[in-house]
Amino acid sequence: MRGASRRQVLKGGMMAAAGAALTGTPALVLGRRAFAAEPAKPAEIIVRAWGGVWVEALDKGVSQSFTEATGIRVRHDLTEDNEIQPKIWAAVAQKRVPPIHVNWDTSTNATKSALRGVTEDLSDLSNLPQLLPVAKPVGLEGWPIVNTYSYVYVLAYRTEAFPDGAPKSWTVMLDPKFKGRVALYNDGIGFHPAAQVAGGGKVSDIPANMEPAWEFIRKLKAQQPLLGEDPDFTNWFQQGEIDVACTIISNAREAKQNGIKVDWTVPEEGAKVDTDALWVPKGLPESELYWAKQYVNHAISKGAQQAWTEKLGLPGVQPGLTPPADLAGDPAYPTTPEDFARLISVPTPVLVEHEREWFQTFKEIMQG
Amino acid sequence: MLRPSKRAYPLSWRLLDAAEAVVGLIRPKRPELVVPALFLAPAILLVAVLVWGLVDMASDSLHVLDTATFLPAEAMSLGNYAQLIDRPIYATVIWRSLLAGVIVTVATLLLAFPYAYVMVRTPSPVIRRVLLISLFLPFFIGQVVRAYGWLIILGARGIVNGAITGLGFEPLKLIYTYETILFGLVQYMLPFAVLLIAPAITAIGEEVEMAASSLGANWWRGFATVVLPMARPGLIAAGVVVFTLTLTDFAIPNILGGGTNDFAANAIYDAFFRISDSGLGAALAIVLTFLGSTIVGIILAIAGAGTLGMGGRAPAKGGGA
Repeated sequence: MRGASRRQVLKGGMMAAAGAALTGTPALVLGRRAFAAEPAKPAEIIVRAWGGVWVEALDKGVSQSFTEATGIRVRHDLTEDNEIQPKIWAAVAQKRVPPIHVNWDTSTNATKSALRGVTEDLSDLSNLPQLLPVAKPVGLEGWPIVNTYSYVYVLAYRTEAFPDGAPKSWTVMLDPKFKGRVALYNDGIGFHPAAQVAGGGKVSDIPANMEPAWEFIRKLKAQQPLLGEDPDFTNWFQQGEIDVACTIISNAREAKQNGIKVDWTVPEEGAKVDTDALWVPKGLPESELYWAKQYVNHAISKGAQQAWTEKLGLPGVQPGLTPPADLAGDPAYPTTPEDFARLISVPTPVLVEHEREWFQTFKEIMQG
Repeated sequence: MLRPSKRAYPLSWRLLDAAEAVVGLIRPKRPELVVPALFLAPAILLVAVLVWGLVDMASDSLHVLDTATFLPAEAMSLGNYAQLIDRPIYATVIWRSLLAGVIVTVATLLLAFPYAYVMVRTPSPVIRRVLLISLFLPFFIGQVVRAYGWLIILGARGIVNGAITGLGFEPLKLIYTYETILFGLVQYMLPFAVLLIAPAITAIGEEVEMAASSLGANWWRGFATVVLPMARPGLIAAGVVVFTLTLTDFAIPNILGGGTNDFAANAIYDAFFRISDSGLGAALAIVLTFLGSTIVGIILAIAGAGTLGMGGRAPAKGGGA
């Protein structure tokens, strides 16, 4: 350190602290590493995100603290996950720099990208060893993606339409009084396993025999359901267009927090639990790749996980997170193996392999 | 024979000669033959890009997705086209799009013609101005915004249902139906159709209508036997534009359809972006392009290409192609 000015020493210390914040590593240890070759920092990194409550949670929970720690600005790209995917695939195939640094994706879509070979290896991230098993991608070698939290496709309902309390079964959607007032995702995502059980089938029959699910969905078609995407559910509840819906708990919770009289439940048949993931596309310049990976590492650190997933109302992949007060003990906020056992989990490889076929069958029923 | 001295001409002259020779190489000797071709160049370039894209898409449509790698299979096959036949969903959305194309075209032309006629013929500058402003105003509002506007107006708690329930009646389900999509499409297409029909009506001299009247035809007869046939180029052009735009529309079926009334364009989007199957999406796009082109070709064959001034001569007075 001979010849180093006081300012340089302080700067080194700050870098060490920033690195520690990112990696969860003690500052002293990281301080030694910080003097090793650390790639130059880009002015910004671009992280794809969903809009509404989703991007707000990511910004407040992860991006702002990442910027505070590193000085790197985070720009959120709100291109839909399905639309950014072919752009990244094309960029990698054409050896161009991909349009984003980090993709926030469903684990199903992220797995497709990993199978296609466009994801960077994340196995050297320092926070990985601490994570719960649910963080590890299924059916893939290593860590091309990192699952970041779980979420449940709950039965959300307008409380005024259920004065006697929460509905107990998904079959409530077939009640004639809710004709035209039922909503699902427009690709049926999240509903197939619940429909399988509600239609008299078994989860173990997925994917070999999905006929009970299709039969239930055919009956539901007669109810003239509305089909939409995440923001539509909040909007529909707000506009009084629907009474019951199968949607991700975050959308129902957002509506409730906005003063809309909405609640949710996990019916007796169970509800599908799934995960979202973060991944970094191939083809980034070396320094940007490094900091993109550091962003992912920060997102799975305990502090960021607590802040991020608390705002989303979803259980993160770090052990020992404190659940939000309104969700503690909620069956739609699974944290223990017993909680997960009450929900329906379909392995990601099965989802990836059968998504197209299920999508087409769902569309055939709903568009008929 | 005297050999020309290198010093016979100054250097500047020789440079000018060289420059003239270069210009002579670039500038054609008979520009009247080349200039029209140069004017056509942008159109040729545009068509070439479209054809290139179509060929590329046709090639993509022959590769089936391998779900193990999420890459198109190397081998070429008709598997994607077979899937379009096997899965009834695709016949449903194509039929729905074609039917909408016909209904929206007929409805739009029925509404656009009187609008254009009044706009052209009215002696009142105020009425003409109001009609022109009304015609151009929608262009300032995007298709998506307009579709969402209809959701607000026709929704369960929208303006219309507010009035209905205010009168003591039960609210009506006015959105997320096929009829609402058709309504939204007609509203969207109307300005395009008026803009295409108005010049055709303008080209019909008022004296022609007066001549018909002076020869004993009442207004309706004059309109049916003189105005309508003479306006045929505008009607055909408007019909073709409205039909093709409707056939390929995405936003209005997506927003006003409530997810249950997809058109072919929505199915193409789904194939490309929701199920990551670009080969299937390409096959569907090729089928849609083929159907649209064939139908437009049939219309032009029946109406006569000369109707749109494509026959090398102006349409005959009286409406003949």
